[in-house]
Amino acid sequence: MRLKVLHLVLVALLAAAFAAGCTDAAPSVPPGAEGKPLRILSLTPNVTEILFAMGLGDRVVGRSNYCTYPPEVSSVPAVGDTLQLNLQEVIRLQPTVAFLITRRSEVPRRLEGLGIRTVPLESDRMGQMLEAIRTIGLETGRADAALALLARLQADLEAVRGRVAGLPRAKVLFAFPMTVGSARIMVAGRGTFVDDLLGVAGAENAYPEAADWPSIGPQQVVALAPQVVIINATGEDAPPDRARAIRRAWDSLPSVPAVAAGRVHVLTEAYLTIPGPRIGQAARLLAETIHPELRREPRP
Amino acid sequence: MRVRPFTSRGYLVSVLVGLGAWGVVAAVAVGIGGRLWAWDSAAQMRDALNLRLEAVLTASVVGAALALAGLAFQALLRNPLAEPYILGVSGGAGLGFILSYLFLSIFWAPLLGFAGALATVAIVYTVAQRRGRIEPYTLLLSGVILNAFYGAAIMLLTALVSPAKRGDIAVWMMGNIGAFGPQWELVGVVGAMAVGAAALFAVLAKGFNLVAVGEDAAGAMGVSVGRLRIVTFAAASLITGASVALSGPIGFVGLICPHLLRMVLGPDHRRLVPAALFFGAAFLVLADLAACLWEGAGNRALPVGVLTAMCGGPFFIYLLRTRWRRTAEIQ
Amino acid sequence: MAQNSGNPVMPGGGPTGPAPVAGVPPAGGPYLAARDIVFAYGRGTPVLNGLVMEVWRGRLVNILGPNGSGKTTLLRVLVGLLRPSAGEIRLAGLRLGDYPRAALARRVAYVPQDTHSVLGFTVLETVLMGRSPHTGALGFETSGDWLAAREALRMTDTEPFAERGLDELSGGERQRVVIARALAQTPELILLDEPTAFLDIKHQHAIYGLLRRLVRERGMTVVCVSHDLNLAAAYGDDLILLDAGRVASAGNPAQVLRPEILSPVYDTPVEVRTDETTGRPYVLPRPPAR
Repeated sequence: MRLKVLHLVLVALLAAAFAAGCTDAAPSVPPGAEGKPLRILSLTPNVTEILFAMGLGDRVVGRSNYCTYPPEVSSVPAVGDTLQLNLQEVIRLQPTVAFLITRRSEVPRRLEGLGIRTVPLESDRMGQMLEAIRTIGLETGRADAALALLARLQADLEAVRGRVAGLPRAKVLFAFPMTVGSARIMVAGRGTFVDDLLGVAGAENAYPEAADWPSIGPQQVVALAPQVVIINATGEDAPPDRARAIRRAWDSLPSVPAVAAGRVHVLTEAYLTIPGPRIGQAARLLAETIHPELRREPRP
Repeated sequence: MRVRPFTSRGYLVSVLVGLGAWGVVAAVAVGIGGRLWAWDSAAQMRDALNLRLEAVLTASVVGAALALAGLAFQALLRNPLAEPYILGVSGGAGLGFILSYLFLSIFWAPLLGFAGALATVAIVYTVAQRRGRIEPYTLLLSGVILNAFYGAAIMLLTALVSPAKRGDIAVWMMGNIGAFGPQWELVGVVGAMAVGAAALFAVLAKGFNLVAVGEDAAGAMGVSVGRLRIVTFAAASLITGASVALSGPIGFVGLICPHLLRMVLGPDHRRLVPAALFFGAAFLVLADLAACLWEGAGNRALPVGVLTAMCGGPFFIYLLRTRWRRTAEIQ
Repeated sequence: MAQNSGNPVMPGGGPTGPAPVAGVPPAGGPYLAARDIVFAYGRGTPVLNGLVMEVWRGRLVNILGPNGSGKTTLLRVLVGLLRPSAGEIRLAGLRLGDYPRAALARRVAYVPQDTHSVLGFTVLETVLMGRSPHTGALGFETSGDWLAAREALRMTDTEPFAERGLDELSGGERQRVVIARALAQTPELILLDEPTAFLDIKHQHAIYGLLRRLVRERGMTVVCVSHDLNLAAAYGDDLILLDAGRVASAGNPAQVLRPEILSPVYDTPVEVRTDETTGRPYVLPRPPAR
């Protein structure tokens, strides 16, 4: 008799556990498609930019600390970043879908555990980024906005390609400013989104390997012998005295063709490395920097 | 080992030999590290030569400064396990450097690092002194306290800044020779300080010997022990701070070099001081060359500080075992 | 013991002539004089309280006294390691503070109690360190320095282990080496702090015999803090008895070692007898009446 009661209790407990688990499971159908109100959580800066460019800015209820563009996003509450997420805040905002780009699998799992549909995206390369726009369009039920954005971006890129069509392809090294205590600088390898941009801008990446963002020392730079060097100095590296220091550092390598010809350019625009809706501007800026003769032409 | 007279002629000869040995090591390191034979154009070879020359000179002045400081601290604290960072100077330099890097400007960072080292010297002296005199025991304690404080402060800063900056700070803390961009003035300053410290310690070397055998006896033989301590402490701390400001905290050079030299030359500081200058320089040049070759063989870059740290562990074990067997008294 | 083979070359101080006859102070004032010395460690009670003493050239002087009477402190003040808050010390007529440190070190040697060697110096290296006041800024040694060091080794019979490490020696041998180092300084005056504290009888007498020879044959002045009343009585020319930071009695052994002087100072009854062989007094403690 006692054993039977025990059995019943156990079965009841298991059933309750199952029920609880079931109610917490994330829905497998995108909420936007069902017509529910769309509340978007975006944890990656370029994804936020894409959302605003698609006209979904008013649907964004939460962002990461690093999402700072466009300026309107500052009124949206920040919930931390993929390393440290303020889960309480996330729960309070009650998002229905979360978009993020991360290599850490526990973050999507966490969000899914909270009942939020989480869509991990990728944007290491240009193709992946364009695909991400399409995915966002599907998830949010705004496929048309996505297609429109894609068309605009493709047109921008085509325009740049057209302008540089006949020009000689320069060997370009895209680098970041040097950091403390290290003789190495981080450069864009062949497998990066910036490399794709360089291709559009009529340039060949001076770094020949399919790495992502390797750090190389000055001797390697001398060996690579780029014809043009672009330093992307953003944030604290942007002020003019910093640019002067960067140029002075590069002047110590006169055998590099870019240094000898005065083709070391310090660009402070942050969007050069953000795979988002501003790639058109990025490609244009790169093209005009690498091929200065373009600046004298009237803009199409 | 037979004791030989310590004469001026012998001194001159050993200084010249030391200088020559370092010169050879440096030349080899410049040539091999830069693969000077492998460049197509003369302009590229000149650039590579320049880069290697600066790296080798940086390694030389930092190695010399650290070996001298280690020797001086071991004499000052009467402790063969002492090394330049034991009194918290590296923490102070590190904090100054990092604060400048994060909030001011990378340009001022070396200067603020040195200022941090100076401040640490002042704080340790103030905390450790009693009636204007400093004792090894209280110095050590103050050093431990300051090291703990600086460690916590640096951890706090690291936790508060962005991940990218965190990585930069972590790399700097490992200790690196060389920067992207010329640093000749800084290298020159640290080099002058190291040579000056060597000259100072050469004059104090007699005093180091005497104090090692007995403080009272040393005082009775004309050594002003109090002044010796303060001057040694200040000079050793300053060159330590300068080298940290230049290349980050590179560990174990200051511990290993004096001991290796003692094994060959004996405990006489008159001989050890000039040897530390040249051997410390050559030691770090070779370590930097090893890191350079490691990288050239296709591996990821190895900061020199990591290399010296990896040698430090086994060396420490060896030291403890030999010391244990000899049961030398440590006062 | 090796024979004294004549005067070696000694740059700096040297013997000052034949030893005077015991009991007759030479003309010209005391060699070392302390007047009204007051010294306290920190702000406690003074360890030396208005101390007055005189040491004459070419004498073996023993400083005696119970524990805490200030013997070691007095020695350190005489060497110049401690500065008294009151009073003055004169060496050969000049104030101690007026001597430059190196010049003082060339005249006065100090042998503290038992030293340890931390970093492994050999005996010869240790003795050579005694030449420091004579070598230049960088410490270069001349042949004269080596001669003085060798002579010091010979005098203390420590030549056999010249190349051995200091840590390898026994207490007695190490003490002789430290004395050799002091001798290498070629001083006029040697101050020793209980040089035979941890030695056996044979070595105690060997050390004191050496000290007496230094006085008789080299004309040095030796001031030695002693724990052992009888050793001091056997070898000392003059005794100075300290009590609570002042001199309770000074003079030759027969004058100082009297029961009426010793008993109050040591706070215990004693009996003084005379050794028939040497004619010197010796002290026997009597059990306290309880």
